[in-house]
Amino acid sequence: MKNAKLRIGLIAITSLGMMWGSVSAFAAEKRCTAGGQKVECPTVTEAEAKAAAAAFLKEGDDMEVGKGGSTYGIAPFDYLTGVGKRSNSDTKTYKTDSGYGEKTGAGLRTELWDRVKAPASDGVTDKSVYDQWTNNWSPKFGNTLVAGADPNQGKTYYYSYCIACHGWLMHGDGPNAAELNPRPRTLTRGEYMQKKTNLELFTVIKGGGEAVSLSSSMPNWGNVLQDQDIWNVIAFIRAMQDVKPPASVAEYLNPKSTFKPIKGDVDALNAASNKDFKEAQELVESDMSGRAPGSELAGGGYVKGGNRLDAADVKLRVK
Amino acid sequence: MQGKFKFLMASALSASCLMLGAANAADKPEVIPGWQVAVPDGKDTPLHDPMILYSSGGVDGKMAIIGIPSFKTYRHVDCGVDTHEISFGGSNKGNKNGTPDGKYVYLNDKGANTICEFDLQTGYLARIIALPFPFGVHHIAMSTDGKNIFATGEYSGKMAKVDIKSGKTEVIDWGPSPSAPDYIDATRNGKYVFAGNYYHSTVGVFSTSPFKLIKEIPVGKNPHGTDINPESTMVAVADKLSATMTIIDVDKLAVKKVIPTCAGPLHNVMDVYNKNGGSYRAGIDSPDGLTSKYIYESCFVADANVKVSYAKLEVVDEIPTHYRTGHISISPDNSYVMALNKFSTGLFSPTGIIFPVNFELWDAREKSPTYGKTLKIMPVDGEPHNAKGLMAYLIKDWTKGQAEQGGLLTGRTDLLDPPHRAYSKRYFIPKENTPPGVKLVDGVKEIHMKAFSYGYIPRQVRVNKGDKVRLFATNIDKASGITKNPDVTMGLTIYGPYGQRSNMDLPRGVTSVHEFTADIAGEYEIFCTHFCGPLHLEMRAAFFVDDPKKGPSNLAVGDYAEAQKLPGLLEEGQITIAERVKGL
Repeated sequence: MKNAKLRIGLIAITSLGMMWGSVSAFAAEKRCTAGGQKVECPTVTEAEAKAAAAAFLKEGDDMEVGKGGSTYGIAPFDYLTGVGKRSNSDTKTYKTDSGYGEKTGAGLRTELWDRVKAPASDGVTDKSVYDQWTNNWSPKFGNTLVAGADPNQGKTYYYSYCIACHGWLMHGDGPNAAELNPRPRTLTRGEYMQKKTNLELFTVIKGGGEAVSLSSSMPNWGNVLQDQDIWNVIAFIRAMQDVKPPASVAEYLNPKSTFKPIKGDVDALNAASNKDFKEAQELVESDMSGRAPGSELAGGGYVKGGNRLDAADVKLRVK
Repeated sequence: MQGKFKFLMASALSASCLMLGAANAADKPEVIPGWQVAVPDGKDTPLHDPMILYSSGGVDGKMAIIGIPSFKTYRHVDCGVDTHEISFGGSNKGNKNGTPDGKYVYLNDKGANTICEFDLQTGYLARIIALPFPFGVHHIAMSTDGKNIFATGEYSGKMAKVDIKSGKTEVIDWGPSPSAPDYIDATRNGKYVFAGNYYHSTVGVFSTSPFKLIKEIPVGKNPHGTDINPESTMVAVADKLSATMTIIDVDKLAVKKVIPTCAGPLHNVMDVYNKNGGSYRAGIDSPDGLTSKYIYESCFVADANVKVSYAKLEVVDEIPTHYRTGHISISPDNSYVMALNKFSTGLFSPTGIIFPVNFELWDAREKSPTYGKTLKIMPVDGEPHNAKGLMAYLIKDWTKGQAEQGGLLTGRTDLLDPPHRAYSKRYFIPKENTPPGVKLVDGVKEIHMKAFSYGYIPRQVRVNKGDKVRLFATNIDKASGITKNPDVTMGLTIYGPYGQRSNMDLPRGVTSVHEFTADIAGEYEIFCTHFCGPLHLEMRAAFFVDDPKKGPSNLAVGDYAEAQKLPGLLEEGQITIAERVKGL
């Protein structure tokens, strides 16, 4: 491959495609409820979950021997030389004191310099594809499907906390899915998710499976995330409904969700005045760790920080 | 006899001078000898390290003492369950190594909720300060006058000011929940304490007297290291999930600049210079007016350390590390930066199902021909959190006649055994597939937990006071979550009175089982003790022991006075260490 940036871009796309392709069939569990009716749970099959776990295991093994494409392409043998990671074939020179960022015979550039000096967008090597582990994580959303919530903020937490089970593309095929029974839900499946209200999603994320009489395999996140963070995660999930496998970087960066806001549903803007929401959250809070009733350490508050905005200040609008 | 003593003193003095000479060589464009040449002391000693690294060993509950730059381990000293930050007594002036007086070094124990005090001159554990409950100490910072230690209560959302002499603590709430104060530093003028809060994604500013929260400054997502420069003008915050460094202006108590640094920034250290521009020499140079040129930040995900210029407030260099640097340390003479790496993927020979982490020493001397190169990398036992450097001349050489001259001890020194891992039966079984949850089997509460990157299921567990507990924990990871390192180990420790009884290692492929009695009520946080990835810190759960007479436990309801008595350290009915110290 002439251009290493292109190579990395293609690796990203290929692995996304492979994971996507494995979700052709869903398991026929009947214990799920959507829109008040019993439906099949949207999950991957056992074989698919195992394949996803094996693929992840292989990525780890590849990394141990420094195979290209595995996490920045680090080779474990370079510690004696102090030579930096090879992230692409350099065409520019960034001068540094140590020379690591400069072009040498082998053309070395490191992760940082690629990120600070953003690669030009050529359709494949867009910065947001390249930077998989930054606050610029792709894709970027210009609007929202949940009033008062920002999917761009939510995706960072999704990729940090949720992927291990729900998978990079929300198919319920994270590396741990095979170890869980019931398996994690496929969060992109529109015919199921469209019937799940924001109230239900919020309660299950904040209080865990047990809060809605489901499995404790879904942990509660209310002692990790503030309420607004949870709303942002919901906005990200809504923004990915029925999104098809990306055939190009452009598609990957511009997911087209089929989600239509449910009439009368609670959202980040009106939650404070919604009676059902308040009742459900009081119940969840009463059993939550990290709380000292009657003190400053009560839960559910809002603190500005981490680029988190108060629902009223979120500028993204519902289309 | 007298003549021999004089000779010994003279050689000791010349050795010290040579060491100081080496320490001050940082700015000279000379050919630097390899680490193995080290510094000759005029005798037949093959190696004398001019500096010593004191390392808080994490899950092995020990402090390691390592030579700089030989990178050879001298010894380990026991402390407790899961040690974290390390801080020299004296003053916090200067950089993170402080301006030590050479008397004591303090380690906080996350597992036991204590602070261990080591006597640097005897090399023994001298005292354990039992912190109150609920607290869940994460990190400590020395005060400017050396009289107090400030501590963050990660597992309760609280902050503490500890009087070192009496062990008495002043505890305040930092709400609302979820609240997790993590890394802390105190300004060198004694005025403020700055602490990150990774659930709030803010840095809290506290006045030291009265000890209270003044304001919260929003920073990037899930802030990690929060470190103040020697001049006390700027705070560098590692915004873990935002890939930036937030610089806070101490005078204005506001964000001065946000610098893009690297993926997964975790910690900062800075170099330190005396008034004349030379490296700071503890005990020789004035601790006042110290300055700094560079911040070195560890980048966990990027496998690098970046160098940020204070003058430019931008990244000026990036040094690759091997791999996944967590904490970062600098030698007292500014010559070396030590990356405390959390993964050693592919680097060392296998020695069992727990994998070694490593320390990597790279040359930070800009004029050295090996600048930026890794000079040494060593496998390390336990899972060290932070490490701090000390000039070796601060430790007396008891072979040179001083012992006979007296002065080793000036008063009674308690020699305490650490609260060893005890009061539980522990074993591994083949990996089990029981669904997560609690069930009653033959009168025993069996808790089945799964550990993954980055969390536990179930996230909350409730048992009743007096229950016999059989805790099964299984690591279901294939490789470390986001970063995919295959050499991942997890841990599970219930802090406080259950610290010694849990403290589980969770290698892949097996299930760890510990049996103990839940005899102290309260809410005790469960946390991961092996660094398993960038969200390791957030890998937590809660263990509730409910007393039917008091109702469900929470941070306000529990046997918290009882918990502070450190079962395992003292015989039943004895007073706590903190109270015992008061009575001395």
